[in-house]
Amino acid sequence: MKEKFSLWNVLFIQYIKRDWKKIIVWILGLGLFCGAFVPAFEEIGKGQGLIGLFETMQNPAMISMIGPTPVEHAANYTLGAMYANEMLLFCGLFAMIISALHVVSHTRKEEELGLSELVRSFEVGRQANSLAVIIETILINLILALFIGGIMVSFGVDSIVAEGTFLFGASIGLAGIIGAVLALLISQIMPTSSGASGTTLSIIGLLYILRASSDISNITLSKINPMGWVYLTYPFTENNWYFLFIGIIFCIAIIFLSFVLEGKRDMGAGYLPEKEGRATAKKSLLSVPGLLFKINKGSIIGWLIAFMIMGAAYGSIYGDMQTFLKSNELISQMFTMSGISLEASFTGTIMMIMIGLVAILPITVINKLFSEETRMHLSQLYSTKVTRGQLYWTTLIIAILAGIIGIVFGAGGLGLAAMTSMNGTSTLNMIDFLAAGFNFLPSVLFFTGLAALALGWLPKLGKVVYAYLGYSFAINYFGGILNLPNWFSKTAIMSWIPRMPMEDFDITIFLIISLLGIGLMILGYIGYKKRDMQERA
Amino acid sequence: MEIIKIKGLQKKFGKFTALHDVSLSVNAGEVVGFIGPNGAGKSTTIRVLLGIINRDAGDVTIFNHDVWKDSLEIHKRISYVPGDVALWGNLTGGEIIDLFMKLHGGGDKTKRDYLINRFELDPKKKAKSYSKGNRQKVGLIAALSVASDLYIFDEPTSGLDPLMEAVFQEEIEKIKTEGKAILLSSHILSEVERLADKVAIIRQGKVVETGTLDELRHLTRSTVTMATTKDVEAMAKVKGVYDFVKKGNQATFSVDNHHMNDIMAEAVKLGVKKFESVPPTLEDLFMRHYAE
Repeated sequence: MKEKFSLWNVLFIQYIKRDWKKIIVWILGLGLFCGAFVPAFEEIGKGQGLIGLFETMQNPAMISMIGPTPVEHAANYTLGAMYANEMLLFCGLFAMIISALHVVSHTRKEEELGLSELVRSFEVGRQANSLAVIIETILINLILALFIGGIMVSFGVDSIVAEGTFLFGASIGLAGIIGAVLALLISQIMPTSSGASGTTLSIIGLLYILRASSDISNITLSKINPMGWVYLTYPFTENNWYFLFIGIIFCIAIIFLSFVLEGKRDMGAGYLPEKEGRATAKKSLLSVPGLLFKINKGSIIGWLIAFMIMGAAYGSIYGDMQTFLKSNELISQMFTMSGISLEASFTGTIMMIMIGLVAILPITVINKLFSEETRMHLSQLYSTKVTRGQLYWTTLIIAILAGIIGIVFGAGGLGLAAMTSMNGTSTLNMIDFLAAGFNFLPSVLFFTGLAALALGWLPKLGKVVYAYLGYSFAINYFGGILNLPNWFSKTAIMSWIPRMPMEDFDITIFLIISLLGIGLMILGYIGYKKRDMQERA
Repeated sequence: MEIIKIKGLQKKFGKFTALHDVSLSVNAGEVVGFIGPNGAGKSTTIRVLLGIINRDAGDVTIFNHDVWKDSLEIHKRISYVPGDVALWGNLTGGEIIDLFMKLHGGGDKTKRDYLINRFELDPKKKAKSYSKGNRQKVGLIAALSVASDLYIFDEPTSGLDPLMEAVFQEEIEKIKTEGKAILLSSHILSEVERLADKVAIIRQGKVVETGTLDELRHLTRSTVTMATTKDVEAMAKVKGVYDFVKKGNQATFSVDNHHMNDIMAEAVKLGVKKFESVPPTLEDLFMRHYAE
């Protein structure tokens, strides 16, 4: 025992000292995001709001995105039931991702940076670090759970009572802990820390997609999905606490397995071997575009696959949507009133959301140039005849191309899956899907421009562009449900663009936003040319 | 007393065998220099000693404890400084030294302050703003501020300026006279030459030579420069003379040490005006082993 965990308590306290700022932002940020929307939902739920929303949430497309509700009659769809239905899965997903990244950054990442080597030369147990990190993460998630429960109950809404709010919070806490233990397990297996975080995120994504399909087709299967345990607790309605216990047992088992694996491995190595590389460079590497592409290749390919899968996941709903439309008169009226088919309106909305996500890719590519800069990977390039302009514009061109291909993959995946699932009854063809996708190209260019502007003038703000993208994404995602005031939803750039094929293409807006994006890129270039390179000494 | 005992150590990474056969011992009150080219397996051996990677074969003990199974028992009494000290960027050097001392236990605050002063480290700076040399100082100060029986240094002075290198050497001499065991892996051969009682040379995962410097020197040739009144050319034919180069009546050549007597006898016949014999430096030994 001692050999394994000696001095974990010192490391634990050290982590709290090192991380306290991050922990506060984590708990406050995620906690408020999860718990503080009660008044907003109260507003939406007024009058017939709850009944209308209940019907909307029966849509398989919605179920696949946000999960099911156990409520069978609109009359029983209380505010609490709605809150849990619409918020729980997403909040849990965020908690899972943040915890997973945190665990990898404090386990394999520290090994890679050489920090663990020194620490382990002391009387520190082989698994003391893992234990310290996992306990830290569990503690954070417990506080988060209590914080969310506390906030929600503090609003004093009739249907949102303590048992439900604390179950809601605890479910999110469980999600975080599941993310943490999955990351711990994968960290033992993968050869590098980036491999560990990438694989963990892919597993989380896979669990989300699996539950999306099993929620619609066969909910029993969702019950054996760790992500299912998060929202199947159904706070405020069924209050199924027992899913938490299943989750806890699962986590203990995974922790145990991770410790066994870690006990047998060498520090800095996983169970999967690292691939051997090339002795000489390929010709394709030997140029500025070649080098920059190589640096970004992994993340570009990863994201393109993600867009494709996402498109296909949403596309596969189209078949059920038709059945659903026929079976429910109210819904069919709701969506066909103004002569627009459900298919067209769904395509328009989902495309806005998907292309919003596609914008992540160019931002990542541009921010990469700055992280290369601070890591001093470019120092030796600056002293050659390679100009800053070459580095800047090559990066931008790669970013824009990646964005365009991303749209093709996302919209194409959606179209392909939609047409397949509808067995040729679709009124939309591939061109319609691609057009609907490229209709949002200006928003991708705009985000690319923002990231480029940050790179040129205040590169440390590169991460803020993600925040604005996340904000826009949330506005677009929940905007339809929340009935936000017009000016408010217009703070997201995508909201300015008409949603094809539901609405008509607007060439003026298309050109204005595109030019705005390109203008930002040029402004960014002016800054990039003259600012100091920021190298960490 | 044998502190480190390594016998027939082997370590594989997948198909690649990093250590074929490493045998080595370090006794109390002894500094053992561990030298070898990049990739020869020095750091791998040290990681096995620290119990952070597991060996595939061989017996490896420190203080008679198994390095993998009883690593904590061992870690209580050792100090380690890697060649590239990685630090948490958002902590200050002073904080990190204190943390390392706490993790080790039994640190001496006065000693710490004395060392901070000697190494001229500013402990109030965040670690991310430290240069390579300053990070190295943090590792050294932390390791030397605590009482240990064994010190393991893996190229400890890389990045230090010559002044600081000298400070390090002085401190090592102090702990050596206190009877501590020291394993010093280094590329700075003059440093090893000055500090080490014994040298182990590793090459391609095998320890190819061990012994005191004198013993090793005996295995190789000294360099002789001499000037004579008669023609020095006659020396070229003497047994045990190699690489003979003549310039006027002065010659430089290398000599097998066990032929030294014959050479002296021959030289006297020629009327010696000048005779200089330089023993091989560690660098010569090193080069001899690696140029092969």
